[in-house]
Amino acid sequence: MIVRMARVRVAGPRPRLDQVLEVLQDSGLLHLDRPPTPETSYPAHTPTKERRHTERCLVDVDTAIERLQVMPNAGRFPDAPALTREAVRRARRVRRQADRLTGERTALEEERVLLLRYRAFFQAFESLVGHELTWPDGQAFYVVLRAGAGGALGELKHSLETAVHGEVEVLHRALPSGEWAVLILVSERAAPTVSSLLSASRVEELPAPGGLGHTNLLRALPSLKSRLASIPGALAALDADRRSLARVEGPWLMALRASLRDRLLLLDARSRVLAATHLFVIEGWLPGARIGELEQRLQSACGPEVVTSTIGQEDWSAPDAPVALHNPPIFRPFEVVTRTLPLPKYGTIDPTPFVAVFFPAFFGLMLGDVGYGLMLAALAWLLRRRSTPDSALRSISTIGFACASSAVAFGLVFGELFGSLGQAIGLKPFFNRETATVSFLGLAIALGAVHIALGIVLAGLNAWHRGHRREAMGRGVTLSMLVLTVLALLAAVEVLPAALFTPFAIAILVAFPVLVALEGVVAIIELLSTFGHILSYARIMALGTASLMLAVVANEMVGAMGSVVVGVLFALLFHLVNFAIGLFSPTIHALRLHYVEFFGHFFSPGGAEYRPLGHWHSTT
Amino acid sequence: MEIALLALAAALAIGVPAIATAWAQGRIGPAAAASLAEKPELSTTAIILIAIPETMVILGFVVAVLILLRAGG
Repeated sequence: MIVRMARVRVAGPRPRLDQVLEVLQDSGLLHLDRPPTPETSYPAHTPTKERRHTERCLVDVDTAIERLQVMPNAGRFPDAPALTREAVRRARRVRRQADRLTGERTALEEERVLLLRYRAFFQAFESLVGHELTWPDGQAFYVVLRAGAGGALGELKHSLETAVHGEVEVLHRALPSGEWAVLILVSERAAPTVSSLLSASRVEELPAPGGLGHTNLLRALPSLKSRLASIPGALAALDADRRSLARVEGPWLMALRASLRDRLLLLDARSRVLAATHLFVIEGWLPGARIGELEQRLQSACGPEVVTSTIGQEDWSAPDAPVALHNPPIFRPFEVVTRTLPLPKYGTIDPTPFVAVFFPAFFGLMLGDVGYGLMLAALAWLLRRRSTPDSALRSISTIGFACASSAVAFGLVFGELFGSLGQAIGLKPFFNRETATVSFLGLAIALGAVHIALGIVLAGLNAWHRGHRREAMGRGVTLSMLVLTVLALLAAVEVLPAALFTPFAIAILVAFPVLVALEGVVAIIELLSTFGHILSYARIMALGTASLMLAVVANEMVGAMGSVVVGVLFALLFHLVNFAIGLFSPTIHALRLHYVEFFGHFFSPGGAEYRPLGHWHSTT
Repeated sequence: MEIALLALAAALAIGVPAIATAWAQGRIGPAAAASLAEKPELSTTAIILIAIPETMVILGFVVAVLILLRAGG
């Protein structure tokens, strides 16, 4: 349900403003809202210089935390650090150290990548190391030709020899990747000609690694190899430095970040305060039941000079109030489903309790199998073990348990355990959905009618509470027509006495113009779409039957493969696939039945979330 | 002959909506994926949009089952 909100006004002498804001931040109760602004009002002075200063320091701290890879559980720092000049300098110093470590690491990584590109060359031409070179003062060019270009090697060699009158030696080796490593050794005199020829023919040279003191790769090979071997050690040393710095500075950085963010929240809050030379006024929202707590906190911390008063409901409109959802613990995990859509507007209906009842029911009706239900329960248990309390994962695991229980319960009703195995081991079906297909279809559509009728009732209540009497009456007439239509159909198929059909049909004909009078011509389209929505619940039967049939096919594989072992393996694999489909498809369709068919009747999205001024908490 | 026609009708009842669903989802899917790349918060809307055309094949399946039951299958 949506928590009832109250709007309060806190007023006091201007010198107390900072103290009041700190009390409000500690209490974490008040969602600040700027008071209606008279023309002669002043916004509270927001110190832009302090904000810039705080933001700059925060950038240093965030960067240092990211680069040092400080974990959220890095340890506790005893006191919140004050934002002093020394703290700012220390943050800047740590950031520079972190920048240096990161920069050195990046450079080493890049060097390693470059050297690794030469590894193929090392292996291809290693046998030449130590040989006498024809032109000891000459130059070497390193080229990698793409796979399949080996045929051009002869032509390349011939062209180069012709151009430099034989003062060139072309060596080539096939690389494991299919490419060709080509080493071109030339005399000092011929080097410029070869370089320009390679450029003109767009042959891409491998850039020579710098800083090794040799221009000739064959001479540099030993140095390159030892450099490559030394890089992991250098990287490990840098990582050790980083970890050490993170261990020493991490807790302080995390504490400073929290202080800085808290300070920024306070500065933001100041911009929503009205202040004159001697007085300030703060307005905001909080749950109605907690007004006393706020008053007591302000009273004890700031004394009687600061006055808290409640603003009457006649002075504010519901759409302005923020929305906080509060449901009983058993329903609370299902808020995850509601929160995937925008929050409902204040004063409308929170659909979470209805989702908590119908979502597992629909899921269970579709999956409806003891075996698959137990598998889902095991999955939900695993998820629960890996999740933290109050996290979205924990909520999803609880929903998983609810759906698993529903699937097991309906599995017992249908007598299904991995499809037809249930009946083979003696499970007695109370309702056999394999044979009673039409009854299952009727059940699904009847369930849809109940769900949609509930949606229409909620829409009517919603409209009534907001003072839209005409709309509420229109919803009432729509509901009556829905019920009358169902009754007329039951009379037509003689579930009810056939004589009742005519009175029901006449009642529908009478209600129809009333509905059009209340809601306009659009009511006709809405009525038709309501019937369409009810028929849409046939998907419960369709998906349920499909799931059962796939399980039956999986079981029949045991006897159809010639070998029992192969058959059992295929059956297990098929059951696994069916389980995966059985998780995904019912979830999507149960969600869709809620979001499109059910919510469509009464849900009013667009509420602003209740975000009280409080202390910053890391979400990482 | 009548059974063969009923079986054909059942096959058409599920086959044609299946093709229509595949066509619709084939157009919605890439558009939804492109939207999600820019606005990940639209994931719920995207899932709903992709699931909407499945109504055709689901109702087709229901009709096919009803036809087969009429044929005594």
